[in-house]
Amino acid sequence: MTVQMIFLAFFGGAALWFGVVVFRTHSMVRSALALLFSQTAIGAMFLVMQAEFLGVLQIMMMATEMSVMAIFMVMFMMDPGGMGKMDMTHQKRLSLWAGGIGLLAALLLVWLPDWGPVALSVPGAHEQAADLGRELLGRSMFIFQSAGLTILTAMIAATMVAIVPNAEQRK
Amino acid sequence: MTIAGAHAGAMTGLRRLISGAMARDLTAFVLPGPSVARSMGLDLAGSHLRVVGTPRHASVLIVVGPLPAGLRDAAAVIYAQMPRPRAILALGAGDIAPLPDAHVSAPLTRAGLQSGLADLRRVIAAGAFRADTGEFTAPALEVRVEYTCPMHPEIVRDAPGDCPKCGMTLVPRETASNGHGGHDTPQEDTPSPAGHAHAGHADDAGGEGPYICPMHPEVVSDVPGKCPKCGMFLVTAEEVESHGHGHGDHGQGHGSKAQGAHMHGDPAAGSAQMHHDVPDEAHHGHEGDGDHCGHGEQADHAGHTGHAGHGDHSAAGLDGIEPHFMSMVELTEGQPRSSDGLQMEWIEAPFGPFFPGLPAGLHLNLTLDGDSVAGSEVRSLVGATELVDGPQMTAGDFVERLAAMMPLSPAAYRTLACAAVEEAAGVEPDHNARRGRAAAVERERIASHLGWLAEFGLQSGFLWLAARAGALQLAVGNADIDGIAAQAGAIRRLIRRVEAAPLMRMRLRRIARIGKDAPASGPVDRARGGGADARAGDPTLIALGFEMRVRDGGDALARLRLRCDEIAQSLDLIAAAGRIAVPRLPDVGRVSGEGAARIETPRGAASLSVKLVDGKVVEAELDTPSDVNIALVETVTAQQELGDALSAVASLDLSPWEVRG
Amino acid sequence: MSIVVVLVSLAAGAYVLAVIERWAVQGHLSLTGPAWAALALLGRESLLARKSDRLFFELGPVLLLVAGLMAVAVIPLAPGLIITDLATGALFLNAALAYVLVALIMAGWGPNGAYAMIAGWRFLGQFIAYAMLIVMPITAVAMRAESLSTVEIVASQAQLWNVLYQPMGFALFVVAAMGLAWLPPLDLPDAAGELAGGVEAEYTGVRLAVLRLARMVIILALAGATVTFYLGGWLGPWLPPWGWSAIKILAVAAAMLSVGRYMPRIREARYLALSWKLGISLALANIFVVGVIALVVPI
Repeated sequence: MTVQMIFLAFFGGAALWFGVVVFRTHSMVRSALALLFSQTAIGAMFLVMQAEFLGVLQIMMMATEMSVMAIFMVMFMMDPGGMGKMDMTHQKRLSLWAGGIGLLAALLLVWLPDWGPVALSVPGAHEQAADLGRELLGRSMFIFQSAGLTILTAMIAATMVAIVPNAEQRK
Repeated sequence: MTIAGAHAGAMTGLRRLISGAMARDLTAFVLPGPSVARSMGLDLAGSHLRVVGTPRHASVLIVVGPLPAGLRDAAAVIYAQMPRPRAILALGAGDIAPLPDAHVSAPLTRAGLQSGLADLRRVIAAGAFRADTGEFTAPALEVRVEYTCPMHPEIVRDAPGDCPKCGMTLVPRETASNGHGGHDTPQEDTPSPAGHAHAGHADDAGGEGPYICPMHPEVVSDVPGKCPKCGMFLVTAEEVESHGHGHGDHGQGHGSKAQGAHMHGDPAAGSAQMHHDVPDEAHHGHEGDGDHCGHGEQADHAGHTGHAGHGDHSAAGLDGIEPHFMSMVELTEGQPRSSDGLQMEWIEAPFGPFFPGLPAGLHLNLTLDGDSVAGSEVRSLVGATELVDGPQMTAGDFVERLAAMMPLSPAAYRTLACAAVEEAAGVEPDHNARRGRAAAVERERIASHLGWLAEFGLQSGFLWLAARAGALQLAVGNADIDGIAAQAGAIRRLIRRVEAAPLMRMRLRRIARIGKDAPASGPVDRARGGGADARAGDPTLIALGFEMRVRDGGDALARLRLRCDEIAQSLDLIAAAGRIAVPRLPDVGRVSGEGAARIETPRGAASLSVKLVDGKVVEAELDTPSDVNIALVETVTAQQELGDALSAVASLDLSPWEVRG
Repeated sequence: MSIVVVLVSLAAGAYVLAVIERWAVQGHLSLTGPAWAALALLGRESLLARKSDRLFFELGPVLLLVAGLMAVAVIPLAPGLIITDLATGALFLNAALAYVLVALIMAGWGPNGAYAMIAGWRFLGQFIAYAMLIVMPITAVAMRAESLSTVEIVASQAQLWNVLYQPMGFALFVVAAMGLAWLPPLDLPDAAGELAGGVEAEYTGVRLAVLRLARMVIILALAGATVTFYLGGWLGPWLPPWGWSAIKILAVAAAMLSVGRYMPRIREARYLALSWKLGISLALANIFVVGVIALVVPI
């Protein structure tokens, strides 16, 4: 139990530290990859908590997603040299408010609802994967399907908006 | 003998073992290029060394034949980029300065290569490590600091000072010392790029210098802060390094920066980062890699200094929201836009003169928008030499000189020179000599086209083709009539396999299309459904059964297929001729007169006119196919993906030695 | 114990693969060549480009090696001979190999050179082409085994190897795996004739040795994955299980290394178009067909 707590704290700390690095660095690529490693640390936290499938999935998805994000950041922000003098903080007052409210909401969510009794034994990894599948194809199906569609639409729309067609293409 | 390029360190037992390993595992970078080595008859692939495409992975620099003066500075850059221990093997190279003296020299023959490599292995095994290592410096490697105005890139001075246009302090930037031949004469007459909103900034200069945005040169402020357009830190003028805002030829100082594609760098191209590791040479004496560091961190944290108090700035509009925050419209305003409409940072990358996938000696400077080519600039670094060397040049010397000037197709130019001189002298070669000559040119066409196939294979990763076509080129190179007949079957099989290779169509179709109106020569011309062939007017060849081969399409695939057709046809022509004779100039005596000749070299039609006075050549004029075809590079690379653009340039089969204009 | 065995066989496999690669690239077979080459690399200077991003430059090759080793950890060489038999093994393999992309981007960005940088970003384009075609065929494999565990996936092929059960999935997976290991004709990140070595272009000495070793480990991991998912893993008559694993893995790796020698490189935009227009449709059809077969004729 204690070993598990130590690892959990370690990866939690790593996730936070990488999260801070995102804003402290001056390079777009470093910022994106710091976000990646922050998310990887969260995946490792899942693993420590014996949620094997979720942990591995998190680690896999974030590697690819953040790399794609990195190239978009570099492309659109025209990061000079990558080691440039880009400031990663903007709109500080707004961000502080948003961050504060987000933190408050998260804390409320942790403390207020009744999470039920602490599970003393975790189902095996095989069983977890099967349970997760039933959950995804059961009552959570609608939520996940609509979330997926929304994200897809948003991605396509964002790309369409970003590309200004030139005179030739407009014809 | 020990090598001057040794790795620092005493020769201990383990190092002795490693030296032995290095002597066995030779990795070579070949100058001017493996293609030139092959056309000179050197079999590098069969010599138990690995030919690599980057100097970073090479331990030996092999210089094949005399190195043209225009390539020597670039050769010094290549040598400087090789990790130690490094050595130079010169094969019939003569003067190679500013490269250091060759550690092993040998004649330019197959035997010379073998003995040279054996000597080289001994030298490396004995002296890969040395306690006292010498430095290698050359003028091309020295980075010179010059001063330029962040607002007016056309202002370049050798000394610090103020800009004569706006009064801003000039900022230093690194450049190759010999790059632009000195900037003592100010180039202010260049028209200023339009669109700069810099009027009145002159007043801002003063005090500790103005703060400017690295991305938006028009944003200038006397106080530190952030750019209202993109939110980047404003930097003092001194901090604006060579990020390339000064590329006047691209309009405004947009984000185009000369990235450090230094390895095949041509010093004359003069972009600063191209040589970015060169000053490290000064540190080379130290052991290990620790000494090469210390730069990276510095670069990354440079932004931390001196930017206290940039948090608050004028917040117009909504509280807490910066005006035009990250607006792409603002950010990219007035900058050049590529055809896909996506605004990206442009980088300039030099390819050549020793780039593995391009003809050796060709310098191609590409402006890359992502990985597609937004602009290109091409030239030959070999440089045109005078055809006539001094007033007392006999016709025989002239023929030899012209043949030596064109290492990629000596027989064709020798034939051309002979034909022109003979016409001037009124000598008529007999029937057999004509046939022998025609066959010699056809043999060279086979070898040259096979060499092109090998280069294409190397560039496109079709390694079987590179190995097989290269081996056949060597076999055909100086073969007699029986030798050609013996190889004919293998060559025809190779052609069939090339035509049937999977993915070939996908790779080359619609690449490098050339319309019918653009001037072109040789296979490039005939691969667009028509065109001209100088052989069509030659009665000797017509008697041998020559018919002009043509392919439709005008793209790189059509050129590949046409070259394959021509190889097959040349095999037939040689068989019909029954003899191969490299022309020898008959004694023309002390005649005077003028003559002209035109023949179809492997790359296209070349014509030569000479004027003889008393048996001496006094005047000569040469037109070459590469001179015509090099003008197509810009058309065929425009808006192509990088790999396609390089395939496109390769499909033109340029010889930098032929470029004279 | 099995860690040691697996790592030793991995080292031996990497060496054999290096011999095969030299044979495929240079045309002559030399059993000692890679050993001398590796020793020579250790003795050479390990240069650092002047304006490099030091952190990325150093971390890139190491991360590549770690990703490869992680992927190897879930490949079973024989019953019981596996570093860790995770319940999510097939997914874990993907997760580990996803960091190949991250490592190559870091290694490409680090040296601040145009060739390396373009090579790194090109691999990202290539990733978008191969990523779905790694995951979707594995889905069909897991459907048949009713498990993501690599050991159970091998056991599920006792009656019939997956290469016969779902040949379409096999073909798609092999092509995607070659894209992941940037093997010719999909070798865009180190395209010799186009980018003069690309990602590898700025690495010398020890760092280059790590990069090359990592590449071999990744090729072995992918050959191992192909064998595990489609060629029945250790299954086979007469020979001991580890013998079958070794033969199959080396044969697949050798085939993947040498096939690109006979065709020109394909650029990532065309690979992308093929993968999405043709590949993904086929992969979906494969999942459907496997689902139907699994329900109708359980073998």
